[in-house]
Formats: sequence, structure tokens, C-alpha cells
Amino acid sequence: MSQSYDRGHIESFGRWTEFSAGMWAWVLHKFTGWVLIGYLFTHIAVLSTAIQGETMYNGTLQGLESLLIVRFMEVGLLAVAVFHILNGLRLLFVDLGLGLDAQDKSFYASLVVTGAIAIGSIPTFLGGF
Amino acid sequence: MAEHYSSFSSEDTRWLLQRVTAVFLVGVLAFHFMLLHFVHHAAEITLAGTTARMQQPGYFVTMVLFLIAATFHGVNGVYNALVNQGISGTPRTVIKYGLTIASVLLIAQGIRVAWVMTGGNLI
Amino acid sequence: MSTNVPDTDTENHADTDTENHADTDAQPAPQQRRLAKKRERREHAPQSETNGDTDQQTVELKVFRYDPEVEGKREPRFDDFHVPFTKGMTVLDALIYARDTFDSSLTFRHSCRQAICGSDALFINGAQRLGCQTQLSDLEWPVRIEPLPHQEVVKDLVVDMEHFYEQMDAVDPYFKDEDVPDGLEEQRQDRENREKIKMSTRCIWCGACMSSCNIAAGGNYLGPAAINKAYRFVMDEREDGDVTQERLETIEAEEGVWRCQTQFSCTDVCPKDIPLTEHIQELKREAVKNNLKFW
Repeated sequence: MSQSYDRGHIESFGRWTEFSAGMWAWVLHKFTGWVLIGYLFTHIAVLSTAIQGETMYNGTLQGLESLLIVRFMEVGLLAVAVFHILNGLRLLFVDLGLGLDAQDKSFYASLVVTGAIAIGSIPTFLGGF
Repeated sequence: MAEHYSSFSSEDTRWLLQRVTAVFLVGVLAFHFMLLHFVHHAAEITLAGTTARMQQPGYFVTMVLFLIAATFHGVNGVYNALVNQGISGTPRTVIKYGLTIASVLLIAQGIRVAWVMTGGNLI
Repeated sequence: MSTNVPDTDTENHADTDTENHADTDAQPAPQQRRLAKKRERREHAPQSETNGDTDQQTVELKVFRYDPEVEGKREPRFDDFHVPFTKGMTVLDALIYARDTFDSSLTFRHSCRQAICGSDALFINGAQRLGCQTQLSDLEWPVRIEPLPHQEVVKDLVVDMEHFYEQMDAVDPYFKDEDVPDGLEEQRQDRENREKIKMSTRCIWCGACMSSCNIAAGGNYLGPAAINKAYRFVMDEREDGDVTQERLETIEAEEGVWRCQTQFSCTDVCPKDIPLTEHIQELKREAVKNNLKFW
């Protein structure tokens, strides 16, 4: 008993293949959350530099929008936001103790709806390119 | 006793506020995305249009509340994530104040930007 | 009985009984009906109905081995055991067979063999389950058996449960009110309240939930089992308001309910089907309500 084997922190995430729906929902919610708060800071920073005058503002926005990569990143941002919203609603219901038996199904539903909305919005985002 | 319970930093207040802001953000974030990507395409946005929107008091107030709620929700989420990772002691205190300062700066700068967007001058 | 190589007939009997014990709340009538049905099935069904010729099947176990006191076992490894499969055999039965037949140094905890003592929670094919409650026929073969994750391994499948027991002790897992009302000799509970706490009383301290929880893994989070135990007493109306308040303060502390991220891992693995996440969420709401009063 003098010694014991500590399998270390790898335990937590080394077993991702064995994660269940609720754990994936948590991982994705955290990930999308980080992206969104990161985007909020960037968003305010970009607008702050752009706000110095009309030409600057219109130039910055149209300059960014003329890059194809930005258009695709916007689709990604939409997907991230939609998932965070839908899974967030799921979590709010969980907090209220409603529909706990359907927590895995509602996670899968969030994923499917997110995918559908993201794909469906591609024409809009690439429109006028 | 009462002081302990009304303390802003207490876990249950932050937990509740995280949910309250979530409910607000669900609506406003969806609105924001719809308005500036689907109603007005991002590529067609001009300062004139932005100013016109920002000059409506309701829109201006909504955007400022959006900024404040989003900053709280996001920064509090980051803090919770770090605490769950097991951060404690001095690093936690540093992170706590660091994040608070970052939030205040972000909100202040955001409101400044919103104000300039209304066509107002900085005093 | 457990230390002998099981003879098929009694073993089958014991295991079909185990299934019934999982449902101890059942009334006698349906219980007897079920037993009668089982007896009938046993008489009529041919022995080989499950998987063809059961007599010749062997199940392969891949078992985690580690022993700091033996030279060759200091590096953890997996040993393979080929155990003859009999109908109704559980993971624990197979482990017992392997120990008694092949390697007497194979170490694991077990006691009652009917999902009550909570000794044999193991990590079986990637999930926390009770060895005695898990039918080999429900698993993919070969069956991989490891000690519970997130706890230190003492030897083979035995983990150090000290931390888990400390967490349980932290919520004072016992009834605290001594007062007997109005000349009664016991503290009576109405049916509704009993129903409310029913599921939470089923905890057998096996530690499966704690082991499955990503949050409990890292730090000092009280964990699902201890919070469920607190729920059992917070919701029990017989305890005095002051005691309840005290209990709420424990679970509201920083490492209490707020750490729960509603991943549902604990609820998924609980061998007694306790709705752990639901109980934790209810306590969060209870805590918020409790504190709003002070504003």
C-alpha cells in the first residue's frame, strides 16, 4: 500500500473516444464560447480602428468582405453562434430541470440544426462575391 | 450573514446572472446576426447606414446592453472554465482582476465606438 | 460459493435473481409473477438458446494488472484470460473464475455479488459499471476490464477510495435530527416526501459516478455521490430547518454544486439509476432561491 499508480490527467481527455453526448456537448459549448468571446474582443477592436472616418469605415468593411476567406470565416462564425445558442437553450432547460431524459437527443438536434443553418446560409454569405 | 449572501462575487449570483444574460443574448445575438448578415449583407454596410441605425435610441440601448451582457457572459464563462481547470491561489486572483479590467475596458471602448457611430463627437 | 468454480445451474439461478434485486421496490405479486415466468422459461427454453453452443464458448478478458510490490508488475500491463462462458455469467463471475483457475494473485474487490455492497465498480469496456451487474452477453468481446479512472490504483483492479469517502463524509451523510414529535416513537415521513427522496436513497457508494466525472477528476469538486447524499437529507422534511440550512451551505460552497457542468456522465453510469444530474440541478435552484431571500 506504500505506493499507488497515478494515471495522471491524461485520464480526463485521453478517453475522448469514450465520451458520451453530454460530454461532447460540454466540449463544444466551451469551444464555441471561447471563439465567441475572442470574436467579441476582435470585433470591437476592428470597429474601433474603422470608426475614424467614413472612407476608413466603408473601406475596412468592404476590404474585409472582398476576401473569400473572410466570407467563409463568417459562415464558421454563424455555425459557432448558432450551436452556442441552441445548446445554450438546451442547457437552460437542463437548469430548469425540464426534459432531462432527452438531453442527448436535444444535443444531436442542436448539431443537426446548426449544420443545416450553416449550409443553408452559404449562398447568402457568398452572395455578391 | 446577509453581506455574505449579497456579495456580487458569490457563486450563486454569478450562476444566476450567467443564465439571465444567456436568455437575453439568445434573442439579441440572433437578431444581430439576422440584421447585419441577412437583412443587410455585411458587404453592403456603410457608415451612413450604421449611423442611421445607431441614432434610434432603442437600437442604441439594445446594442449597449448586448455589449455588456455579452462581455459578462463571455468573461464569466472564461473564468469558470479556468476555475474548473483547477486554477487557484495567486494565479486565480490575478486572472480574476485581469479579466475584470479587460471587461471594463472592452465595455468602455464598445460604448465609445457606439457613441461615435451615432455621429456624436467624443468629448 | 463465490470462491468456487461455479456449477452452471446454481450460477444461472443466482444471476437471474440479481436482476430482480435491482427492483426491490416491487410489490410481492408482480415479483412472484416474474419469478414464475422465469421458472417457466428455464424449464422450456433449451440451454443453448442464447449464443448457439454455450458450452464451448470462451470469453476473452483483458485485465489491467499492476502491483508496486512485485518486480515484474510495476509497469502496468494487460493480461489476457480465456474463461469458459456459461449462460448468465457476469463480469464478476468471469473475474472470479480467472482468479480461482489461472492466477490467484489477480486482485479485485467484491462482496455481496448483487449490486448492493458497491465494492466492484470497474471500468468495463470504457464505462463505469458494477462487475456483478454486468452480463457478459451484453458486452462486446473481448472484454476490457480496468480499475476505475481518476483514482489511484493500489493493485490490479483495486483503487484508492479514500478521496471518495472524504467527499461523502464532507456532507455528513447521516440523519441529524434527534427530536421525535408529539410523543411518537419514530420520525414519520409522509408518502410524498418519501417518494421525493426515494431514488437518492439508493446510492451504494460504489464511486462509479465520481470516476466518470471530468470535473471531479481534476480538483476538489464534491462530486455527484456526495451531492446526491446531501440532496437526500436536504429534501427530507423531517430534518430541522437549521440543519437543512447548514447542509445547503455545504453544497453551495465553491467546490459544491456550481462545479457541475451537466455533462450527464454520472447519470449515465450510475448502476442504481439515480438521476444524479437532476438532483444536482434541483439543489442549484434551491440554493439560488434560498439566497434570493436575503437580498
